[in-house]
Amino acid sequence: MMLARVADSLYWLGRYIERAEHLSRLSSVMLNATLDQTDAGAHAVWIAMAAVGEPGDGAGVASFEAARTLVLDRQDQNSVVSSLARARENARQVRDQITTETWERLNLLYLKVTDPRAGKEFSDSSSTFLHDVIADLHLFKGAADTTMSHGESWRFMMLGIYMERAQLVSRLLEVCFADSPRHGRLDDHVALVSVLRMACALEPYLRVYTAEIEPRHILEFLVFDEDFPRSIRFATAQIEQHLTALTRSVSAGERAGPERLAGRLKARLQYADVDELKAVGAGPLLTTVVNECASIHEAIYETFVAYPLEMRLPA
Amino acid sequence: MAGMTQTLAEAPTLPMTEAAYLPGVAYDEMFTAEGDVRTHYDPLHARMSTLGAEELAGRQRTLERSFLLQGITFTVYGAENTTERIIPTDLFPRIIPAAEWARIEAGLTQRLRALNLFLDDIYGDQQILMDGVVPRELVLGAPSYRREMQHLYVPHKAYANVCGSDLIRCQDGQFAVLEDNLRVPSGVSYMLANRDAAKRTFPGTYRAAGVRPVERYPDLLLATLKSMTADWRSNPQVVVLTPGVYNSAYYEHAYLARLMGVPLVEGRDLVVHENMVYMRTTTGLRRVDVIYRRVDDDFIDPLTFRRDSSLGAAGLFNAYRAGNVVICNAPGTGVADDKAVYAYVPDIIRYYLGEDAILPNIETFLCREPRQLQHVLANLDKLVVKAVGASGGYGMLVGPHASQAEREAFAEAIKADPENYIAQPTIQLSTAPCLVDGRIEPRHVDLRPFILSGEKTIVTPGALTRVALKRGSLVVNSSQGGGSKDTWVLADDQGPANGSARP
Repeated sequence: MMLARVADSLYWLGRYIERAEHLSRLSSVMLNATLDQTDAGAHAVWIAMAAVGEPGDGAGVASFEAARTLVLDRQDQNSVVSSLARARENARQVRDQITTETWERLNLLYLKVTDPRAGKEFSDSSSTFLHDVIADLHLFKGAADTTMSHGESWRFMMLGIYMERAQLVSRLLEVCFADSPRHGRLDDHVALVSVLRMACALEPYLRVYTAEIEPRHILEFLVFDEDFPRSIRFATAQIEQHLTALTRSVSAGERAGPERLAGRLKARLQYADVDELKAVGAGPLLTTVVNECASIHEAIYETFVAYPLEMRLPA
Repeated sequence: MAGMTQTLAEAPTLPMTEAAYLPGVAYDEMFTAEGDVRTHYDPLHARMSTLGAEELAGRQRTLERSFLLQGITFTVYGAENTTERIIPTDLFPRIIPAAEWARIEAGLTQRLRALNLFLDDIYGDQQILMDGVVPRELVLGAPSYRREMQHLYVPHKAYANVCGSDLIRCQDGQFAVLEDNLRVPSGVSYMLANRDAAKRTFPGTYRAAGVRPVERYPDLLLATLKSMTADWRSNPQVVVLTPGVYNSAYYEHAYLARLMGVPLVEGRDLVVHENMVYMRTTTGLRRVDVIYRRVDDDFIDPLTFRRDSSLGAAGLFNAYRAGNVVICNAPGTGVADDKAVYAYVPDIIRYYLGEDAILPNIETFLCREPRQLQHVLANLDKLVVKAVGASGGYGMLVGPHASQAEREAFAEAIKADPENYIAQPTIQLSTAPCLVDGRIEPRHVDLRPFILSGEKTIVTPGALTRVALKRGSLVVNSSQGGGSKDTWVLADDQGPANGSARP
């Protein structure tokens, strides 16, 4: 049992944390890819910007300025610093629910990215800056995992993290592999490696598929792999698992909502025919995942947060 | 008063700074007028003497960093943007001997007992008003008087479950009560956070001194809150009600909820249905039994009090009247900490308990009385004048430090509305050593102990010592640039009971 408002804040805390990490990684990979003078660098920039919903015209993107905006612009609602500020604001709302260890990791990071010197640090060494932000976010998740009770509070936060992750990875793959990619077919080795890096998947991928980097395998890995924590299948399995635990205490009448939707999505990915998946033509499947996640999100709200009072008043 | 004519002996020197420590005419917590270290400060003084200026500055930075990291901040609203700041926290603890504390404890217990009986009376048969001990119009006309509380049963007659009274030490070394805070006193989280910090900063000295612990405050508070229900052993649902994350004391609200292990709710989380209070949880509505509210009376219930408030819950007061929920502190307690009622507290203690007040009041002039008004107007340059309804260091005039124009303007305000003002002589608050800009200097301090009252009355053996960080300033409020420091109450003036002290 916890306050509905608190559950809402914990859920968004998870989402913003995951978003900040994803944006930091995209920025980092994008900046790194442009260090070499190849066309693939521009391609990577386009993918990263498209994945955050700002595709631009693909030509002559000033990647450094783009990354700087993506990371440090407080006016931009979708930047890393904005995401971290919102994560912290949510954490402050539920300060009594998260452990001091967990709170301190996030507060420290917030103070770092909002420090007046952050701009200079980013200019001097953007890769170090982003590396540290990502490492700090890992510390946050580690602190949450090892110090918070794995009860309702923790589950709502994890639910937020995996919901956001499933959507972000789906969106990234959509940009790269949907039916009519605006930027031409994605087959350059460097660009493909960048995509794997953006999903934090390069090393785990290599262990499964060796250094043969192929679009079909990337899709297969990031959509269907059972064990990789950033695959869509893994994320949806987690969503389903957390929802099952959370709905245990909700009365039977309301059980049908988010848990059923998540179970259906999980099953769809679990029993999909991997061989049918082609690099070109993955669009419909990815779109389905994005839409299903949106439905699960709504159902979570209806079940736990914004339910009508009349239904729950004592008789 | 003894000590009033104190002459300064040669200034005592603290070896770690080049500068001498120069106490003024006020009583100094650490040094006697002759410049000797008071016995109970010996271990701390010895430790201070071994630390260099750089070492001290380093520890001070570590301390502030730790407060910032923990989010022990209050919110400052600026023109550009809203920022969070820490309340400046001083490294050196203030030390109070056991014998002195025993007197403070007895005095505060007596005072709160009398004030609770007073509240019970004025919301009951009003005997004290009929006997003419306190002027009827002073009580019934006070804005903090709540007619809605008439003839309402409060268990144990404990109206103020949490009280934070402000004490000061006068030039003669005696403690006196400056004001009582019976509404929603704050600062207890700073007391606890300062203690954590002091233990890390001076572990050896702390152990050697034999200090009474304060860390039981949250569980004692929870027990006090639970004792306010009729059947508290059946595990009532307790919540802390906060105005929200933008309130300047939000950190404290979240801190207390976390340490008591109870939900921190906002008004929008509460629903009142058929005179029962519920909170909206993920699994439906859940009954609430006790509300430790950190929201002022005015904002508890828009149906009963202020209509424009969204901080409370509509219907909450009716649920309270019906006995279905407990509100702590009880609404209407503010009338007992009214600055005008304050002048009558010694009479109130005598009236209900038949005892003299153990802790004296500060001499107070009520501008509502014509003769006292004349005295106040004639002596504005010597007095501190306070608006009765204001708090937080606002609406006050510190006569000796004000300009002629400020005094004249204030005189007009007093004449226009004399009932709204009281005046007190300027008291030299005692000073204690503080680290300011890398040097150790005396700064004025006050003392806010916390008293819990339910089935039992408990004075926490510790306090928030507030510090006026500006040189010579007597204003200690955090909203006016004040800071704080830890307060060590010694268990035994003969030194620690359990064996020899270790460095």
